[in-house]
Amino acid sequence: MVMEQALADLWYGFGVALQPANLMWVVIGVVLGNLIGVLPGMGAMTTISMLLPLTYVIPAVPAILMLAGIFYGSMYGGAICAILLNLPSHPPHAVTCIDGYPMTLNGRGGAALGITMMASFFAASVGIVLMVFVSPLLEAVAFKFGPTEISAVMLLGLLAGATMARGLPLKGIAMTLFGLFVGAIGTDVSSGVQRYTFGLRELADGVDLAALSLGLFGISDFLLTVNRREVATTTTRLTMRQMMPTRNELKAAILPMLRGTGIGAIFGAMPGTGPTITTFVAYALERKIAKSPERFGKGAIEGVTAPEAAAHSKTQIDFIPTMSLGIPGDPVMALLLGALIIKGINTGPQLITEHPDVFWGLVASFWIGNLLLMVLNVPLIGIWVRLLRMPYRLLFPSALFFIAVGVYSTHNSVFDILLVAAFGCVGAIFLLLEFPVAPIVLGFVLGPMLEENFRRAMVLSHGDLMIYLQRPISAGFIIACMVLILLQLHSYLRAPASARPAYAPH
Amino acid sequence: MSRNWLGALVASFVVWGMSSPAAQADSYPSKPIHLVVGYAAGGSTDLVARVVGQRLAEALGQPVVIDNRPGAGGTIASDQVARSAPDGHTIFMSTIANTINTSLYPKLPFDFAADFAPISLVATVPNVLVVNPDLPATNLKEFIALAKSKPGQLNFASSGTGSSIHLSGELFNMVAQVQLVHVPYKGSAPAVVDLISGQVQSMFDNLSSSLPYIKAGKLRALAVTSAQRSAAAPDIPTMAEAGLPGCEVTSWFALVAPAKTPKAIIVRLNEEVRRILGEPAVKTRLSELGADVAPSTPEELAALIASETAKWASVIKASGASIE
Repeated sequence: MVMEQALADLWYGFGVALQPANLMWVVIGVVLGNLIGVLPGMGAMTTISMLLPLTYVIPAVPAILMLAGIFYGSMYGGAICAILLNLPSHPPHAVTCIDGYPMTLNGRGGAALGITMMASFFAASVGIVLMVFVSPLLEAVAFKFGPTEISAVMLLGLLAGATMARGLPLKGIAMTLFGLFVGAIGTDVSSGVQRYTFGLRELADGVDLAALSLGLFGISDFLLTVNRREVATTTTRLTMRQMMPTRNELKAAILPMLRGTGIGAIFGAMPGTGPTITTFVAYALERKIAKSPERFGKGAIEGVTAPEAAAHSKTQIDFIPTMSLGIPGDPVMALLLGALIIKGINTGPQLITEHPDVFWGLVASFWIGNLLLMVLNVPLIGIWVRLLRMPYRLLFPSALFFIAVGVYSTHNSVFDILLVAAFGCVGAIFLLLEFPVAPIVLGFVLGPMLEENFRRAMVLSHGDLMIYLQRPISAGFIIACMVLILLQLHSYLRAPASARPAYAPH
Repeated sequence: MSRNWLGALVASFVVWGMSSPAAQADSYPSKPIHLVVGYAAGGSTDLVARVVGQRLAEALGQPVVIDNRPGAGGTIASDQVARSAPDGHTIFMSTIANTINTSLYPKLPFDFAADFAPISLVATVPNVLVVNPDLPATNLKEFIALAKSKPGQLNFASSGTGSSIHLSGELFNMVAQVQLVHVPYKGSAPAVVDLISGQVQSMFDNLSSSLPYIKAGKLRALAVTSAQRSAAAPDIPTMAEAGLPGCEVTSWFALVAPAKTPKAIIVRLNEEVRRILGEPAVKTRLSELGADVAPSTPEELAALIASETAKWASVIKASGASIE
């Protein structure tokens, strides 16, 4: 019965989304999103806020279809830069660089992109199906997550993430701590005290995530390679044939794709978790359960598939709390809600019943848009790659230009550009010393959320730590944390002495 | 495609560079007007600025560019406007936060009351005391009685330390003589989520963001904090009607310009803004955002800024809140 109703609604949605005018805006949205996804630093946030005035003159439905198309379209584009250039155009794709770029170095960049597209489409489709059928269930789950549960999840994410780094475990932990420190910069939410801002008001809201990740990954890599004058890694012509993964690669990618999709779905249902932690957790999980974890960081296909699948299912499922409750899961969603409000549409729990054309039209447009992106990406990747395959002497300055424009436009602040430069230098030093930089982003993202929610939980429980064990969901996560620590100790103690790199003398 | 895009960007910089630096009052406006907003695109201040900015552009015959400079509770944007050329081409959508920040931040490089010339009040948004529907209090008197019977046990959520939502709660603590515990969040949306799910018990939210949940029965409204009932929710009594006089808070948005902006330009802008706010279409659009239009003279706005600054100084002093 519920099923039939959902299918009827979806059918109605396709009717809305396939109207020529609406379809046109979907196409514009996804192509634009794809392009800005490729350009480093030009995020969906920037583009949507720049195009917001344009939506004043078109009706609500095509406006929201286009803006949403930019958002998920940019997700497809983001993987391209990460895999081919080691450049995380958007923070969630930082983790894709770790194995995607080595695959390019190994000549399998095309296959990595092909697999990513398949995984993305699959994950997005699962996300859409969930959105159609289990929205009510996910809503209920979302409301069970209070500060206690969120801080327990964050703790698990931090523990899982800190151990995923390549090389010496101690270096990974050190970098996670550095990320936690950078995350502590800014105004403390609980007391209003400014920490480590050195009197700079630009730091009062903390360091911008885009500035941090573009500096650490993009600029630092430029700084290290610019003098080597090596031939760009993307010189090989990318053809359809190269984008077809081999049978073995496909086989290796299927399970990670499913797991990544699952993780994305879980995190999508929890408002406020953000896409970056989702991809990091998906990556960490793959590394944890892999038979030969030493392949990771050297071009393991699981390391590309799982996080990208997670990013895409999370992106779609993010729309569930946004549309059905009016609760935005991240800043882009908040902006989309703002766009609806400008159009005079009340967001909140009554949106689906009051404006079925908006909700079901959007759901149907997701499918159309994702399908379009799949089809378009075959010729478009060629164009994007040609764009990125310019000689280094042209590519570096133009990438720097886009990074600067992109970072500036998030807060219209020159300070953020200086911040990118500073983190670029810091990242280059870390890379020279063979410190992994990915855990910095993880610590940076999770630290503040963990602290904020922990302190809130303590205010609510009047300082009683037992609340973590009294509430069943958080107790589950705390037990998972314990198990993780025990497993880590166990595998460390069981490993032969020669495989303990942490204490190996040089 | 990218080349065209780049070309357009370069062209726009060229046009920008050519515009004349000096502007005369009689030829005003001679170039695009920057309407600076201290918050990110999509927030309520931004939405109000966009509704007004769009009509202002049509009235003045020059584009009005919404310039979002978020950060540090709006003080980054305020500082920038205070230091920009006082020629009417830079104006600022100030909010109640500007009068709060004067007392909250001990070391601001500008004085909001002295460094800005008031143009007109634009809109007001009442705050509303909402509680989780499971709380055994159906009206304000019961809520105060419940809070008095459990001192330090009930709490209220806010969108951040020093926000009008936080200080409404502190004012309530002062006037009703209760001890609700402050639980700050990063923004209003996550606070509302925890309020609906019962993690926290109460909040003095902006009416606009809570109204959908009140209508859906997910939150219970006890009273609005404005002097009169709100047009958007005429069923909800005011604090005074519900039995607690002296607990009045109204969030507001007002246009201001740098202090030395010529009087003629201020008058011109004031006339246009008041005319725009009288249009039924603008009224409807702002009321959809939960805001009531509130046109004023520059003098009335100056008086409001003075009284608000004094009021929040006393609340902040009493509650001990401050940003170091």
